Amino acid sequence: MQHDTILGPVAARAEALNDGYRNHAAIAVLRRALSDPAVGRIALVSSFGAESVVLLHMISVLDRSTPVLFIDTQMLFAETLAYQAEVAAQLGLSDVRTIRARPEALAAHDPDRLLHKADTDACCALRKTEPLERALEPFDAWITGRKRFQGQTRSHLDFFENEGDKRLKVNPLAHWRPDDVQDYMINNRLPRHPLVAKGYPSIGCAPCTSRVKDGEDPRAGRWRGQDKEECGIHFVDGKLVRGPVADDRPQEHKEPPMNVIVTDTGFAADDRGEEFQPPEETGAAALDLGSDADVSALIGRLEGVEAIRIAFPAFSDGRGFTMARRLRMMGFTGRLRAAGHVIADQYAMARRAGFDEVEITPELARRQPWEQWQARADWRAHDYQSRLRGAG
Amino acid sequence: MYDYSEFDDAYVRGRVEQFRAQVERRLDGSLTEEEFRPLRLMNGLYLQLHAYMLRVAIPYGTLNSGQMRQLAHIADRWDKGYGHFTTRQNIQYNWPKLRDVPDILEALADVGMHAIQTSGNTVRNVTADHFAGASADEVADPRPYAELLRQWSTDHPEFQFLPRKFKIGVTGAPNDRAVIRSHDIGLEVRRDGAGALGFRVFVGGGLGRTPMVAQELAAFIPERDLLPYVEAILSVYNLLGRRDNKYKARIKIAVHEHGIDTIRALVNEAFAERRALFSGADQALLTDIRAQFKRPDLSPRDIAPFVAARDADPVFRAWADTNLAAHADAGHAIVTISLKPQGATPGDATAAQMRVMADLAERYGHDELRISHEQNVILSHVHRADLPAVHAALKQAGLATANVGLVSDIIACPGMDYCSLATARSIPIAQEIATRFEELKLEHEVGPLKIKISGCINACGHHHVGHIGILGLDRAGVENYQVTLGGDGSETTVIGQRAGPGFSADEIVPAVERLVLAYLDLREDAGETFLQVFRRLGAQPFKDALYPEQAQRRRDAA
Repeated sequence: MQHDTILGPVAARAEALNDGYRNHAAIAVLRRALSDPAVGRIALVSSFGAESVVLLHMISVLDRSTPVLFIDTQMLFAETLAYQAEVAAQLGLSDVRTIRARPEALAAHDPDRLLHKADTDACCALRKTEPLERALEPFDAWITGRKRFQGQTRSHLDFFENEGDKRLKVNPLAHWRPDDVQDYMINNRLPRHPLVAKGYPSIGCAPCTSRVKDGEDPRAGRWRGQDKEECGIHFVDGKLVRGPVADDRPQEHKEPPMNVIVTDTGFAADDRGEEFQPPEETGAAALDLGSDADVSALIGRLEGVEAIRIAFPAFSDGRGFTMARRLRMMGFTGRLRAAGHVIADQYAMARRAGFDEVEITPELARRQPWEQWQARADWRAHDYQSRLRGAG
Repeated sequence: MYDYSEFDDAYVRGRVEQFRAQVERRLDGSLTEEEFRPLRLMNGLYLQLHAYMLRVAIPYGTLNSGQMRQLAHIADRWDKGYGHFTTRQNIQYNWPKLRDVPDILEALADVGMHAIQTSGNTVRNVTADHFAGASADEVADPRPYAELLRQWSTDHPEFQFLPRKFKIGVTGAPNDRAVIRSHDIGLEVRRDGAGALGFRVFVGGGLGRTPMVAQELAAFIPERDLLPYVEAILSVYNLLGRRDNKYKARIKIAVHEHGIDTIRALVNEAFAERRALFSGADQALLTDIRAQFKRPDLSPRDIAPFVAARDADPVFRAWADTNLAAHADAGHAIVTISLKPQGATPGDATAAQMRVMADLAERYGHDELRISHEQNVILSHVHRADLPAVHAALKQAGLATANVGLVSDIIACPGMDYCSLATARSIPIAQEIATRFEELKLEHEVGPLKIKISGCINACGHHHVGHIGILGLDRAGVENYQVTLGGDGSETTVIGQRAGPGFSADEIVPAVERLVLAYLDLREDAGETFLQVFRRLGAQPFKDALYPEQAQRRRDAA
């Protein structure tokens, strides 16, 4: 909105620019975009993919100090990274900015780099759309290499587009045909992306790009087998297409530092006044056991122990369940607590293994509220073990 | 056959609703992808190369015609009209949509089936001899024990988050058709000196990247101690198994690193504690379960129609000679329906074929079907007089391939065509080998020969225990196939030995052909199998056949 007050409404400017440039060549459109005050601050967004070198070359000829935003999703082919460095050096581009997702966002949403398998849109949103959105914040316009021939969703592309009344999007190559791209690269002796020769006419992230067979649409190798054509940084039918990105900005209100205790009756604050002590501490009323503690070492030492807390460093580490069962078999009747990364879906298991309660962080309690734990508080029902052991 | 009790039924329906809610919670962000992954895996849902894959359990490989028809219905309604039977007595659907999966699970629950614990780091679907309850060499039907173990392992609160997956196989016969020595726990039903039933227990077998033959943990565990003893093994493994490296997390590595004697001592200690937890309710349940596996009433009839068809029709005779196995009742036979037509994908069946097999089971087979770990379907009790009719119906459905146990009856993993772990294609190689031997018309002359193909080091195609094993690897971007020789998955389990340098995709089929032709030259008579020749002469003559140039150099040097 603030851009409008300086330059006028984006939609009106896009229309006027399109009218003025309807019959111009790509280079003229680009020259105008780089110099016209009605366009404002502008950057080229480049994937350094199969055909990117055309616009990069034009920029290097017109103004090599134009900011070039390169989105490194950290899922790119090694060939792309090498090619990016080679092209930037050869063309003498002086302001290439590498854009990446924030490390904390990656840690929160895609810690094991598998998000692309579960939810491609969310992965694009996390690694591409959201970082680009941030990087474009200071600009009034950006340049893309999109072309009409690239598919149904792009068949009506104009030189100048209104992006959500926010900024201009400039597509100098909108009317180019595949042959134009090839001719330009040949005539200007531009370096080719090494993967093109290996059967990749359109190149994105490594996990979501596959080879294209003869006769297939050049973009057929992108997100193959999915109902997906665009990564979400572009418009489809004038609407911004974006995957969901959870809002993980720091919360404004201050978190209570206390962990939450989950029992069959609900969430509660920790009512144990005493501190849990390491197991070596003789005479302690409450013991803290690590996930690798040797429960057998407590044989004969459980007298006077009121509570034991067993650590779950990761919810996928199930040692604590067997440790709890063993403590119960050893005759421990005091309070048994599972603490750490235990999720609501494991609550019935924890109770059946002998735990009385679970201690979780406020973050987990917020993400998995009581109702989700309550759904598994019916741990006595449908229990094969009690049926087989004769306890139920 | 086991019918779900009310308890089982309520349980699986509860699980379906739980999973429905988990899918919702994943979509609304309550569950992170990391947290959702083990939950979907526990319900058999994988993410593969192209899409989700749902793996449905067929416990101990037994199902009835209604269940088979439901599998066909699922293939038609929610998938692409076919299913893939696996080496662990499961069926996999390769194209389900995440939002449809709860409905598919509900359809399974309607016929007493589920996809629970078919993946994830937990006790997997318990497998058993596919001839159980029918074969002549059986001490006792292993399936009641497998069913008891299914109930015990389902949702076991301690063992849902083990260091790694855990597979149990049971055989009731001394001739091991269930490959129990390749399982984390292998159980062989036997009798002690006094005639009481119990188990010989093996532990620490497995294929994968570190193939190991299971070792004997106990020579005899009485029947009543099955659950506490198995639970003791699991409890030791849960605490001892490595969690720092997923490739060293299976129990076979723990057995290897600590030694079988240490493991035995720990298990015995835990067993002493665990025994007290079982009051005998499990034994009462076992008695109920066993009653449901009673062999059907096999009434005597004249087998003349069988004899007549066998004499008159060479096609029927060829099929009968390869695809029938001896039934405990001489008037009956065990029919193996080959899902390995030459040139097709091993283990695939279309919905229409599933319905044909279901109809045949209902009409001629006491309503019972089996899935073998060799990816074939079995009609366990068919009267010989009915075999000509069964064969005719199978022929019409493209299911009468007469190749069980022969060269083209190949076990192959899905390979690079479906699996995201695979480093090479395996199904096309299986197809080419089968097609080649069909051209040579040599298959019946060659006789019993097990070829097994894995598309990566994880060995889902069991290549280590193939008489000829083929392992597809990726060498600098090029598919490369290594050959192992002399493997055996039976009661005399042996891991095959690597023959030498690998072959390209173009070279592997001719290499296998050279091996088989060399065997025909080397055998003393038609009765000596490939494996017997290998054991008599060793690997060298086969290596010479695989690498003729090296053999020539060796001869020149000599």
